[in-house]
Amino acid sequence: MGWLLLLPALALLLALTLYPVAYGAWLSLFAKHSFFPEQNWVGLGNYLYILNDGEFWASVWRGTVYAGATIVLQIVLGVAAALVLNEMFPGRNLLRAIVIFPYVIPTVVAVILWKWLLNSQFGLINYLLEDAGLIGRPISWMGRDWIMVSLILVSVWQFFPFVVIGVLARLQSIPVELYEAAKVDGASAWQRFLNVTLPQLKAVLFVIVLLRSIWMFTKFDTPWLMIQGGGAETYIRTLPVYTYMRTFSYYEAGKGAAMAVLMFLMLAIASAIYFRVWKREENL
Amino acid sequence: MSGRARNLAVCLAALALLVFTTFPFLWMASTAFKVSNEIFATPPTLWPRTVTLANLERLFAETRFVTYFVNSLKVSLATVVLTLAVGTPAAYGLTRYRFAGREAVAATVLFAYMFAPIMIIIPFYAMMRFIGLNNTHLGLVLAYSAFCLPFALWMLRSFFQSIPVDIEDAAMIDGASRPKVVLYIVLPLAGPGVVATGIFTFILAWNDYIFARVLLSADELKTLPVGIADLYNASVVDWGMIMAAGLLVIVPVLGVFVFIQKYMVAGLASGGVKG
Repeated sequence: MGWLLLLPALALLLALTLYPVAYGAWLSLFAKHSFFPEQNWVGLGNYLYILNDGEFWASVWRGTVYAGATIVLQIVLGVAAALVLNEMFPGRNLLRAIVIFPYVIPTVVAVILWKWLLNSQFGLINYLLEDAGLIGRPISWMGRDWIMVSLILVSVWQFFPFVVIGVLARLQSIPVELYEAAKVDGASAWQRFLNVTLPQLKAVLFVIVLLRSIWMFTKFDTPWLMIQGGGAETYIRTLPVYTYMRTFSYYEAGKGAAMAVLMFLMLAIASAIYFRVWKREENL
Repeated sequence: MSGRARNLAVCLAALALLVFTTFPFLWMASTAFKVSNEIFATPPTLWPRTVTLANLERLFAETRFVTYFVNSLKVSLATVVLTLAVGTPAAYGLTRYRFAGREAVAATVLFAYMFAPIMIIIPFYAMMRFIGLNNTHLGLVLAYSAFCLPFALWMLRSFFQSIPVDIEDAAMIDGASRPKVVLYIVLPLAGPGVVATGIFTFILAWNDYIFARVLLSADELKTLPVGIADLYNASVVDWGMIMAAGLLVIVPVLGVFVFIQKYMVAGLASGGVKG
């Protein structure tokens, strides 16, 4: 009976998630145009080509920089925001809901919103910076020197609420006695954060960092939409963007599939290392 | 720090957080209701001097915004129905029956939860082309349901787990059949959880860009995120109109969000929504 109830869900998952994954691995062994059905067996040829492609490694590097920077900033900002939202102040419940807004809107809206704010000629940010005397000339936020910074800014704004929610839920379940005991022992606010709060947050942060790492390293739509309508495309061409372009701009579905497989392998290895390090930490 | 200084610091930090998260939205709304020369005026004005609906009118008259909106609504609602229809019985089965392989199923679901669209979009597209479902809303609904199902199952499972089995056992000892128990006891209790899961599914489908971009090519089939991205890319950017479009796209999302905020936060904390 249990299986019977599960059957439709499993069928859908098998047919539309697990089968495509397997089929993608199979496809990566062929030279195949994205639109035409013919395919020619090339064995590991696609992999050899990609591993020798300088642009592939450059995109891996850009993706790593992007993921690394956004994750660190999301965690710092998210934990800070959660600590504030755990205090008492008027309008707290409302702000707890509002903070989640950036996370639930479509990426395309987040991106055009920030493109307007960061517009080099008419953008509000450049105006405010110039007005405050912080910059002499308008910054070209979508230009080659700044587009990665802009992309990171937009992404942190969009995704830090995920951290807030997880951390806030955990903060609310830390026993107050722990803080009172620390206070009696004369611990300062900073010491209480380091020695009481952080150890309690460790487990939830482990999961958050894992999920955010996977999702930031595979993030496609934010960088892709940032690229549109600008000339600095190559400076934020991360691995997911390059994979997409291989398939839908160069029409090389076989090579695109091989890149997706490599992306999966890199994540699997990184997660395995992460788990191992975590286990060792736990045992100390 | 004294109590009063601390309170002040907390309030200032809360204010900074409020400005950081909401100001971009306010600026979008402000631009959406400005006339064109005020949009580009220096110094910029936060509150429009002249409030105009011209941007909205242009959006409705000159673009296919309404078509995109209806498409998005259709596809998102169909996704919610399919995901819940498949996910609710599965989650019930996972929590109420013991059978071989139950843990393996849960692990598979969690594994699928971590997958990003970019990792399956290429074979998925090839498959949809092969069975002729590319460029159809049905193909898109299937894609979204498969994509949403892992997190939906995960969420529903935790809601079902929180309902004590004893209630069901008691009802069955009293002679109620299992279907009756499910209909009159389990579903009403799990109702909020099912609704929250449905909302998350809706938001995921409503917000998606990549599946719609890849699977649909006909303009009259496009959903909002793709339609808006294309409006942005069309030659000179009409900022007033684009901001008006952005505003209308997030209104339904923020609307349901405020409406059922309590469930949402509970759901998010239990691991709902990915992105």
